[in-house]
Amino acid sequence: MTAPSLAKRQYALGAGLAGSALNYFKYWVVAAAVLCFVVPFIVAQYADVQLSAWYYAVNCGKWFTAFVGGGFAFTLLPQYVAAGLTRREFAVSQAVFGVVWSLCLGAIGFAGLFAERAYYDGLGWSQGFDVGDTVVPIGTAADTAQFAAYLPLLFLSYFAAGTVIGVASYRWEHTGWLLVVPILPIVFGLDVALYNTEPVGPGWIGFLGRYLDGMGRIPVAAAILLATVALAIAARRILTDIPMRSKRA
Amino acid sequence: MFDDGSPIYRQIADQIKAEIMNGSLEPGGKVMSTNQYAAFYQINPATAQKAFRELVDEGVLYKQRGVGMFVAEDARDKLSADFRERFFERVLAPLVREARQAGIPLTDIIDYLKTQEGALK
Amino acid sequence: MSFSVTLRDVSLNYGAEAALSGIDLDLEAGKVYGLLGRNGAGKTSLLSLIAAFRKPTSGEILVGGEPVWENAPIVSRVALIREGGDFDDTETVKDTIESGGIRPSFDAEYAYKLADRFEVPVKKRVSALSRGKRSVLAAICGLAARAELTMFDEVHLGMDAPTRDAFYKELLAEYMERPHTLVLSTHLIDEVANYLEEVVIVDRGRVLRHADIETFQGMGATLTGPADAVDGLGLDALAEQRLGGTKSITVAAALDADVRSRAAAAGIEIGPVGLQDLFIHLTDPNRNGA
Repeated sequence: MTAPSLAKRQYALGAGLAGSALNYFKYWVVAAAVLCFVVPFIVAQYADVQLSAWYYAVNCGKWFTAFVGGGFAFTLLPQYVAAGLTRREFAVSQAVFGVVWSLCLGAIGFAGLFAERAYYDGLGWSQGFDVGDTVVPIGTAADTAQFAAYLPLLFLSYFAAGTVIGVASYRWEHTGWLLVVPILPIVFGLDVALYNTEPVGPGWIGFLGRYLDGMGRIPVAAAILLATVALAIAARRILTDIPMRSKRA
Repeated sequence: MFDDGSPIYRQIADQIKAEIMNGSLEPGGKVMSTNQYAAFYQINPATAQKAFRELVDEGVLYKQRGVGMFVAEDARDKLSADFRERFFERVLAPLVREARQAGIPLTDIIDYLKTQEGALK
Repeated sequence: MSFSVTLRDVSLNYGAEAALSGIDLDLEAGKVYGLLGRNGAGKTSLLSLIAAFRKPTSGEILVGGEPVWENAPIVSRVALIREGGDFDDTETVKDTIESGGIRPSFDAEYAYKLADRFEVPVKKRVSALSRGKRSVLAAICGLAARAELTMFDEVHLGMDAPTRDAFYKELLAEYMERPHTLVLSTHLIDEVANYLEEVVIVDRGRVLRHADIETFQGMGATLTGPADAVDGLGLDALAEQRLGGTKSITVAAALDADVRSRAAAAGIEIGPVGLQDLFIHLTDPNRNGA
């Protein structure tokens, strides 16, 4: 890293982290893409392909994003504070990291969905996803775009959730992770409500989805945005006077 | 070096004085810089500086701004009186005291010193 | 522009337990300080507060004249190097060095030069380093930070004697080339004594003594001689030992000429006390106050 000026270093650091995280996990993305290409092809030998494999990969990406947000915050916070970064700067860099990561992963999700659409169309398959008991095709290209447009926001909400849990786990060594209990059902429930579907993950967590079924996508998206902002504020609050753990010899 | 319990800067000052007396430092000659001293003896430069300051105050060294530290022309004269005084205080006074404790007559010591003086010649 | 350090009535509690209480301390810019104290005396807590690693329970901490807490222009130029370093163990040595670059003053070239000289393998992961090499890496990152206030907390642990020697040499060279404020916290006092200008002794959460090194070096003396004669001097002994009729006492005060001549007349030997011994006596838990 070339030394950025003091005022800009928090942004440079966040963008740099997003870059290195993407670089670090690039083979995972490639592997997911290969799997999504190969698995439906195998399934097609025995049955009709009705489900979007990429959609499942994107769902894994959300959980993955939560781990990246939490894991990076947990390990990097002490390292960077020790290297002369303030907690406030760390909070900003983590926010930049989250936004850039989510945009990039969202863009990959978006591109993948369209690539899959072309692939499925070419072979006469149906690109759909599971809604409770029935399989609903994603629809026109415009539908697909609309569907995928929410991905960055979704990723960001998972990133924020992970970050809160990561910094809380650093701050409260034995109990911090318990924040998983209130946070994940909310984020996951909103996610489920947005797509009104049953993605990968324990189904019971989708309980919020039931209450939000009747709402349109825009209010749910607004709720996700609100939850993300609330999580970001919570993470910053937990961070601002966090003490460095003492070392054990 | 640096083990007789007196402050390090005083030991350095004493050593520079000894070098002036035994001729390894000539009057008018340049003395190593504070940092050279500090690096050579692995000591804090402020400590070396304290030694120099003391020597400047005593008129043994003089400072030329921006050039360095030099041995005063009359440094040896200044030091020899000092050395004589210290020799009596540090070497002879304890000797007399110990001799008395051991019951050695002063005349024996004088005789011994005279033969040693003869042997050196 | 080195940083000064000022603590005003600073206390730190861990839960109900007081780690530091009522600390007032002034460190002048550009000097080398030794921070001495027994295990658990509060050295590390004190350094953690000065580096804004944690917040004091009460009191004020100024570094370079400004409150240090969450102050980016200040903390970016303050380095506290803790034993073993604050590293992500899964990273390589190279990445660890590179991440020092979040300080604008960080000198990566110097860090690599030192890594080469101290034979720290740049491609290895931090977790694969020996304890000694890990300490060296921490020290390297501290030196290369080129900070205005650098504090080494027991960083020598795990280094062997020749490595420690080489590290102190490098530290002095760096200090002379670029004067800054340095704090060395260590148990191996005699190893660093010559590098110090002032010494701060912390004991049971308080500053016990703070004076320049000469004061400490002139402070102590041992007096050994006939027990009656030693007692007759009426000195306040820090420690005493008896062997038959001979008694040896350690005092923590400069002896004036009168005492010296009386002692000499009574056949009492006067010897110096090393900083290490003086420290041991001053912080002896069996002593009340100091």
